[in-house]
Amino acid sequence: MFRARSSFEPEFVPMSDLSRILLQGAMPLTAFVLGASLQVKADAEIRFNRDIRSILSNKCYTCHGPDKNSREGDLRLDVESLAKADRGGYFVIDSVHPAKSELLARITTEDEDDVMPPHGEGKALTSQEVALLTKWVESGAEWEGHWAYLPPVKAPVPEVENPDWRRNAVDRFIGARLESEGLQPSDPADRRTLIRRIFLDLTGLPPSADDVARFENDRDRFAFDHVVDRLLASPHFGERMAVNWLDLVRYADTVGYHGDQDYSVWPYRDYVIQAFNQNLSFDQFTREQLAGDLLQGANRDQKVASGYNRLHMITAEGGAQDKEYLAKYAADRVRTTSSVWLGSTMGCAECHDHKFDPFTTKDFYSFAAFFSDLKERGFYGGNRWEPQIPLPTETQETRMEALTRQVASLEASLTTSTELLVNGQFDWEAQLRAAEENGELLWEPIRPLGLQSTEGASLRVLADRSVLVTGANPEKDTYYVKLAPEREQVTGIRLEALTHPSLDKESLSRGGGNFVLTDFKVDRLDSNGEVTDTVTIASAKADFSQGGFGVSKAIDGNKSSGWAVDGSKKIADRRAVFTFGSPLDLAEGETIRVTLAHQSDHKRHNLGRFRLSVISIEKPGIEETGVPSDIYRAVLKSFEERSEKEQTRLTSFFRGQTPLLDDTRVQLASTKASRDRLKKEIPTMLVSQSVKPRQMRVLPRGNWLDESGDVVAASFPGFLASKAEKELSRLDLADWMVSASNPLTARTFVNRLWKQFYGTGLSKVLDDVGSQGEWPTHPELLDWLAVEFMESGWDVKHLVKTLVTSQTYRQSSVASDYLKEKDPFNRLYARQTAFRLDAEVVRDVALSVSELRVDQLGGPSVKPYQPAGYYAQLNFPTRTYQADKGASQYRRGVYTHWQRTFLHPSMKAFDAPSREECTAERSRSNTPLQSLALLNDPSYVEAARVFAERIMSCDGEAIGAQVRWAFTEAVCRKPSTREVKILTELYQESAERFADDKEAAEALLGVGGAPASGDCEPAELAAWTMVSRAILNLHELITRY
Amino acid sequence: MNPLDILAMRQNRRSFLSRSTVGLGSLALASVLKPWQSQGANLAASTQWPGAIQAIPQLQKAKRVIYLCMAGGPSHLETLDYKPKLAEMDGKPMPESFTEGQPIAQLQGQKLKCLGPQHEFQTFGQSGQQIANVFPKIGEISDEICIVRSFHTEQINHDPAHTFLNTGTSISGRPSMGSWLWYGLGSESENLPGFVVLTSLGKGGQGQPISSRQWHSGFLPSNFQGVQFHASGDPVHYVKRPPGVSQNDQRRLVNAVNALNRELDSVVDDSEISTRITQNEMAFRMQTSVPELMDVRNEPQHILDLYGTEGGDGSFASNCLLARRLAERGSRFIHLYHRSWDHHGNIKNNMRTSAKEVDQASAALITDLKQRGMLDDTLVIWGGEFGRTPMAQGSGRDHHIRGFSLWMAGGGIKGGTSYGETDDLGYKAVVDPFHVHDLHATMLHLFGVNHKELTYRFQGRDFRLTDVHGNVVKRILA
Repeated sequence: MFRARSSFEPEFVPMSDLSRILLQGAMPLTAFVLGASLQVKADAEIRFNRDIRSILSNKCYTCHGPDKNSREGDLRLDVESLAKADRGGYFVIDSVHPAKSELLARITTEDEDDVMPPHGEGKALTSQEVALLTKWVESGAEWEGHWAYLPPVKAPVPEVENPDWRRNAVDRFIGARLESEGLQPSDPADRRTLIRRIFLDLTGLPPSADDVARFENDRDRFAFDHVVDRLLASPHFGERMAVNWLDLVRYADTVGYHGDQDYSVWPYRDYVIQAFNQNLSFDQFTREQLAGDLLQGANRDQKVASGYNRLHMITAEGGAQDKEYLAKYAADRVRTTSSVWLGSTMGCAECHDHKFDPFTTKDFYSFAAFFSDLKERGFYGGNRWEPQIPLPTETQETRMEALTRQVASLEASLTTSTELLVNGQFDWEAQLRAAEENGELLWEPIRPLGLQSTEGASLRVLADRSVLVTGANPEKDTYYVKLAPEREQVTGIRLEALTHPSLDKESLSRGGGNFVLTDFKVDRLDSNGEVTDTVTIASAKADFSQGGFGVSKAIDGNKSSGWAVDGSKKIADRRAVFTFGSPLDLAEGETIRVTLAHQSDHKRHNLGRFRLSVISIEKPGIEETGVPSDIYRAVLKSFEERSEKEQTRLTSFFRGQTPLLDDTRVQLASTKASRDRLKKEIPTMLVSQSVKPRQMRVLPRGNWLDESGDVVAASFPGFLASKAEKELSRLDLADWMVSASNPLTARTFVNRLWKQFYGTGLSKVLDDVGSQGEWPTHPELLDWLAVEFMESGWDVKHLVKTLVTSQTYRQSSVASDYLKEKDPFNRLYARQTAFRLDAEVVRDVALSVSELRVDQLGGPSVKPYQPAGYYAQLNFPTRTYQADKGASQYRRGVYTHWQRTFLHPSMKAFDAPSREECTAERSRSNTPLQSLALLNDPSYVEAARVFAERIMSCDGEAIGAQVRWAFTEAVCRKPSTREVKILTELYQESAERFADDKEAAEALLGVGGAPASGDCEPAELAAWTMVSRAILNLHELITRY
Repeated sequence: MNPLDILAMRQNRRSFLSRSTVGLGSLALASVLKPWQSQGANLAASTQWPGAIQAIPQLQKAKRVIYLCMAGGPSHLETLDYKPKLAEMDGKPMPESFTEGQPIAQLQGQKLKCLGPQHEFQTFGQSGQQIANVFPKIGEISDEICIVRSFHTEQINHDPAHTFLNTGTSISGRPSMGSWLWYGLGSESENLPGFVVLTSLGKGGQGQPISSRQWHSGFLPSNFQGVQFHASGDPVHYVKRPPGVSQNDQRRLVNAVNALNRELDSVVDDSEISTRITQNEMAFRMQTSVPELMDVRNEPQHILDLYGTEGGDGSFASNCLLARRLAERGSRFIHLYHRSWDHHGNIKNNMRTSAKEVDQASAALITDLKQRGMLDDTLVIWGGEFGRTPMAQGSGRDHHIRGFSLWMAGGGIKGGTSYGETDDLGYKAVVDPFHVHDLHATMLHLFGVNHKELTYRFQGRDFRLTDVHGNVVKRILA
């Protein structure tokens, strides 16, 4: 009855190619067929959610789905009532006379104009799909709501015949399905495999030889349960569980965009580890992250947790517009939060209504509005990531309080009036007025903090704050002058070229009296003295310039042209003013660096004496007043004319610079410096702070420049919750996420956890449980677990224990040929699944086997060895990676410094994600880059050498015994005779070779900073190192079976 | 075979390539996804990743891409787009009709004034293409290249603009075009990655950072990630043996590891293991093939002179030479970044500096490919992530996205032509606008691939390099 259509062929892959791939798959063809039809075979009855929804979603919803803007023919097939509506004499789906359904006519017609989906658009239906649709319509077109959007209910736990398959509900659901499919479960894994599996799954660490032996000999019925309890109580449990969560929330140590600078959010990572370790209930975990700052009397941990909202990538790229980036951040939060908790792809609704699920664009922006109260910026100029909170230790807190008190008392003495000060101010004001009357206009000369000549000339500061150049007199020279103007704003810099008796002709330089200033540049430095920005110079003017050497040539970027003043003939002080493009706001600790370059062809035309002054008024002239304009205006007024504010400001300005208070100021400065040093030692955390919400609009097609969209308030997705009566906050969002009426959160979490212990989710697509996701293989089990999770009070450890103590979990992962053929994807769980370890765990295993691992819970991220020059593409600032020394070098992978744009190459090779976006599932690749990392990364070479030392210090004298010990220690099982032979030969051949070449042995043993024990003979140790390297490279070592 | 079987296979094929790679997914993926040739001639060809899609042979012109990315955003007004009217307007206010409501970067809130072209243009070749005179060597190959003067993009800051140019979206986590091509068509290289990245740092402007996101495989299997080759240190991370370990030592070690892996395989029968063995062999071979690639001592002097490099110094010229060597060895996508083009200030001199750094080698690459008969099937693209404003930023220009230029050559592109125009002041692409999505669509077309058909399902959606956009621009095709 069905036409043979070209669409039977794979869409993009011609047959020849496809068969090639299949044949390479080394799987019998029948396996695929059975694998795919398993679900249909289970019962012959058609079920909407399992069989029909995905067809409609895939093939029809693009034009007949939720998105009103792309809807054709005013037909929706995603809503039952509309799909079955009377369309004026006919029905698309006719429940009364199924055969009359227009749908059937359209999907089977040969008429090119009528056929659905239309030829050339979208994807054609396969004959299988046509058959399924037909059968469904003919049997009454029974509709079901999408499974994931209906509240989960606990179905009765099924009975199973197999008495071994009744440990808990997991077994009963899995077992019942196996029995109905006629499949036998696999034997339990042997104890060594099982204990290694549970250790790796729950702690990310391999068991020690002791652990293995103890478990092997423990005949208690509940031996395994006891191991599970012990591991759940281990602090390593949190470290293991954190890895997946950190992927989801895209936690990293750097900001991600452009310069990818460091920021401090590692306390959040530690919060996550602690939360899992303390078994914080998942609902509370949710509240604290989304809205910890809004909780009544929020404690420190809860504020740290609220950093969740700040973990997205942020930018400090010059020229970035606030509004554009605020829109990017808002969208990122919706994508991530909807994925983390709801397993939904709300991100698809940013530009248009979702094509497959009932999320509207309005839902997207209303969801974003939950976060509109966050205090944030779009563009983080000056690399100031805010708001942050300090997280001091108790000692730090006490010291900080003392220093703060001292600062306050010194500051008080600066503001306390004394007769001396009152008189001093009176005189100062009079001076200023006199200066004004005389037309003498003052800049504030700044005493340089640091001076440098690139060519080694001596730069010395004179009493008048000018700088005199003596000593070496190079042909060309560049001076760097570091200034710390004590004012909030600088609008320009004045350069005075000053005469001095020591200079040629008592003029301006030691190169005949004239100078050529080829470049004048101002950089902004952070408190570490790193350049963060170059200040734009908008204009330059001078009181005198020689013909062809105008002062603008000092800022034209041309390294040979410059400003000169005919100093060999005309002997006089000269002044030039460089005005900034926009006022420079200096934060505490920031300084500026002025570059004075003399790189012209005129020899020794270098400034001989100069002085730099700053000013804070707009458009400063060469001769303008040196005090801020408000001070200037206030001074000119009589005491009576001044407002109280003006008087206060005047007094504080005076006290800030009068020599009368010099001593106090020096003391204050040093106390403040101590305080600042301490402040830097105190960890900080970027957190959520609530302010007045920004207005949120729907951005048409996601365009941030378009302000025509509706203003929206925070609200839950319309189809999942009824409209709220009140204004909603982030806390309401958190409460809703974990409310009984939310069908998605528990299922999403449970499904991901299942994957962690069984290899694949019960619904395979971990980041989409919507229409395009997968109908779960065991929907009743998924729902049972979700309800159990909620009923237990969102008890994570309880859930984990339920999953790992089942008999299903304990099976062997070795598949019989029969099972491989029957259930190639292991979707029915008649066996366990073997998979490669996560990147962090690959590292942890090597560190554990060598016993190099340093266990310290939490703390700032650490830096393992990394190839030199890996950060060469970074800038603002440029960076050189410094690997940690000592204990920090041997910390677990979860603590590795996470540089978003350049993740550590070994971690990246093993599929650790960059964490720029929410990642629900890591790729599990198998590449030569992994082999190269295991072979040659110094971390693994060093671990091998240290493991070799352990081998040599073990009791066995015979080589075979040592090999056996090493293998068992690392792999947790005894080696076969063949295996021993292979490693023994490797040892013997290597030992011979290194005995002939001691230098090579020493070179190999020199890798890594861990001290050598010194007792071992180098050639032997090198040979054992080769054996250890082989062991650390084994597929088995990086696989969990 | 009956249609149902084919259907089942098709569904399974999708499962192979989905990100969930356990169970059979893992087995199949492991066996299929071997980006590089395995050991031994008898296994050759059959184990190499054949690509997810078959190119249409009669449409396929290009077999590989060499993308010369001028990172930082070169000004079109001093390179490929001559605007006499802008010269007349030099120093005068930029008419608001051009700029109102348009995105702008560092010139936010400032008075906008025109800046005339800072370099003269010259007519080159029989085709009479107009190119700035700071590019005399590119001028000499002007009959080989197609200049697009109506390119436009959507992101105005460096980082997202690169992401957009590479992946078709500014959202992180999507595959870059090199990964798409490798995934889609496989690679012809037996011992080297199918997607290779080389970077160089110039002296013009600020050295803008480049993220490794730009060559990431995003949601595609990570096998398809671009691999960065370095001029100094190990050319590929960890490709060098540890000190004291000879080639023989390493051979002995890899043999032992693989023998042990085979022992395990005989017990657990896990096809991941045979993949691991193959990858170990590949890794071992890379320890010679990569240094061999990087070592240009065997190149004749006239070739080194042509590019203007002695090689090995990490310069753009050296990288161009390596690009040709990679192309010869079958890499599918070779991406060069030259970080030198962010000319916010003093564009006159900076442009001269940056042009000098790339002019000779860019032209040499075309000449060299041509003389080897490889230009016909090698698509070369030259251009930045955006252009620069006709408005002055002091003595320089700011970022600009509404219209700028690039050139392409070889691989089925019609040489000696130009396509599209900006308005009189070089602000907006007004004739035949050529969007980033169009570039991607056209590029895939040159490979015989319909850009709408190269898809990958992620988060329930079939993603494309061109998202839901992109038109093949046939007028620039040979």
